[in-house]
Amino acid sequence: MPILNSVYRHREAGRPLTELAAYREAGGYKALESVLGETDADDLQYAFVRSGLRGRGGAGFPMGRKASFLPKDSRLPKYVVCNADESEPGTFKDREIMEMNPFQLLEGLTLAGYAIGAVRGYIYIRGEYEHQARVLDAAVRAAREAGFLGKDLLRSGFDYDITVYRGAGAYICGEETALLESLEGKRGQPRLKPPFPAVAGLYGSPTLINNVETLTALPPIVTRGADWYAALGPEKSPGTKLFSISGHVVRPGNYEIVLGDTTLRELIFEHAGGLREGRRVKAVWVGGSSVPVIGEEHLDTPLDYESLQGIGTALGSGGCIVMDDSGCIVRACLRLASFYRHESCGKCSPCREGTSWFERILQRMVDGDGRMEDFELLESLFRRVSGKTLCPLADGAIAPIRSAIKLFRDDFIRVCQEGSPRPEPMLPASVG
Amino acid sequence: MDADRIRAHLDPIRHEFADPRSLVMPALKFAQTEKGHLTREDMAAVAEATGYSPSFIESVASFYDRLYTRPVGNRVVSVCVTLSCMLRGADEVWDALCEHEGVDHHHGGTSADGRITIQEAQCLGYCDKGACIQVDAEETKGPYTPEEAVKLVEELREAPTPAELWR
Ligand SMILES: Cc1cc2nc3c(=O)[nH]c(=O)nc-3n(C[C@H](O)[C@H](O)[C@H](O)COP(=O)(O)O)c2cc1C
Ligand code: SF4
Ligand code: FES
Repeated sequence: MPILNSVYRHREAGRPLTELAAYREAGGYKALESVLGETDADDLQYAFVRSGLRGRGGAGFPMGRKASFLPKDSRLPKYVVCNADESEPGTFKDREIMEMNPFQLLEGLTLAGYAIGAVRGYIYIRGEYEHQARVLDAAVRAAREAGFLGKDLLRSGFDYDITVYRGAGAYICGEETALLESLEGKRGQPRLKPPFPAVAGLYGSPTLINNVETLTALPPIVTRGADWYAALGPEKSPGTKLFSISGHVVRPGNYEIVLGDTTLRELIFEHAGGLREGRRVKAVWVGGSSVPVIGEEHLDTPLDYESLQGIGTALGSGGCIVMDDSGCIVRACLRLASFYRHESCGKCSPCREGTSWFERILQRMVDGDGRMEDFELLESLFRRVSGKTLCPLADGAIAPIRSAIKLFRDDFIRVCQEGSPRPEPMLPASVG
Repeated sequence: MDADRIRAHLDPIRHEFADPRSLVMPALKFAQTEKGHLTREDMAAVAEATGYSPSFIESVASFYDRLYTRPVGNRVVSVCVTLSCMLRGADEVWDALCEHEGVDHHHGGTSADGRITIQEAQCLGYCDKGACIQVDAEETKGPYTPEEAVKLVEELREAPTPAELWR
């Protein structure tokens, strides 16, 4: 199926829109101009609900519904926080939006602020994205000078400004309550929910948290209409989605597709240029590394929330990692286990201890020192950790390993007995 | 870095936060630009500039990978070793750099001349450019072969150290 570059304007324009004038030429800020002083905040919220837009950060919660959870009559100031922590392995779509099209994100964040009556928007960006943070800083300054941020926006009486806030290297700060802790100047450790951020978020105030891609979709939803967006793709999860694809594919990159319209096979073989000569797909983590892994037999699944759930995995962040049959699944699992062990914030012991055990057991398997009892041991650890932690990181660590053991049991048994020598990687030169 | 310089850095952004504690992270990041890591004195200065206790400031700093509470090299080279980059040769890049700088292959470390620190990074969000490398907090680049990565650190060794060390 063709790529539809219709929501993210730099894709439609085919060039970066880092200058305000260029963004304006491409239709930028028409949405905000049409809404401010004209549309009631509740009507705008309702348009978001009708569009069917779901959160693009991983959990897929309907955006408009989340906005409607914020109390209307709060005496506390309200905030919108944009989650730009993008640290899920395999995911690099928010980076593209921020470095190529920062104003569309600012416009979306301002529309969201207007819809809930917020006083300020924050963009929490991972510290490693300093380059992108500087692009955003410059965009905020330009938007402020042009009257799109600051006091009395476009003489509507609406005051709103945006702060770019840099993290300092911690995957867990992508989890929304850990993010809020970090934004409040503390260690980034998740909070117990409830209360949810919609009720008590930043500084205890009602807070709407959305991913970069989610907020950036809002301006075209306003200009072209919620019905236009809702008509793209399947009824329950409409719209377009940026998929980041990487690993053993010839053309890694971001591709914007209409949900439900493109199969995983098309994404890999048509958009991403397929694999190297003579290679077959071994394993795919289609929604980032925290989702169950799937194999070749599922390549014809359409890429949308329901279809992927139907085959036992998830759309997640849209960070699609592909491994061909030169790779070793046990090594891949070990690498992910190391990631989660490193990123566990240590607040709950099942996660802190569990992730460290997953890594140790997989390491001895890769070293050829695995035992058959290790399968039972891993499974009993999964049972004792899963669902018993404060945040979903631990389940995200379990999902790819547990599913891999089920799907590739023979590989695991062979590696347990023989170990796994490091396979040849796909080097830049071999891409051709 | 002294507390006055940190205060001067924070003054223009103070009004953006309803709670001044949000200034702790910008303060730590800025204080680190002077030496490339945070000494106890730097953290005490952050404590003074923000009004929180030194032990609170130290506990915050210790949580984040990119806040260094121990000395590191003039330039910090982060090699992404997460799955996508591994499939694209990150381990080979890592080995070549550790070998070249004479540091431990498990943990990385700082070269004997103190110029270069090699450290593992988790997914840097440039998987399309794997195997990728980030120098300090500059824009991440890739893909690198082991040879190209070695050339990168050789050039870094000769290059002048930036005036402000954003990491
Ligand atoms: C461990 C963990 C890491 C996460 N990382 C991110 C992230 O980097 N970016 C993001 O937008 N959401 C991330 N999320 C999801 C957020 O908690 C939250 O659901 C999301 O920001 C909501 O925005 P959305 O509804 O627009 O998707 C993460 C969740 C968990 C549990
Ligand atoms: S599950 Fe892990 S990451 Fe999440 S709060 Fe508990 S220890 Fe921290
Ligand atoms: S895995 Fe290396 S940048 Fe994502």
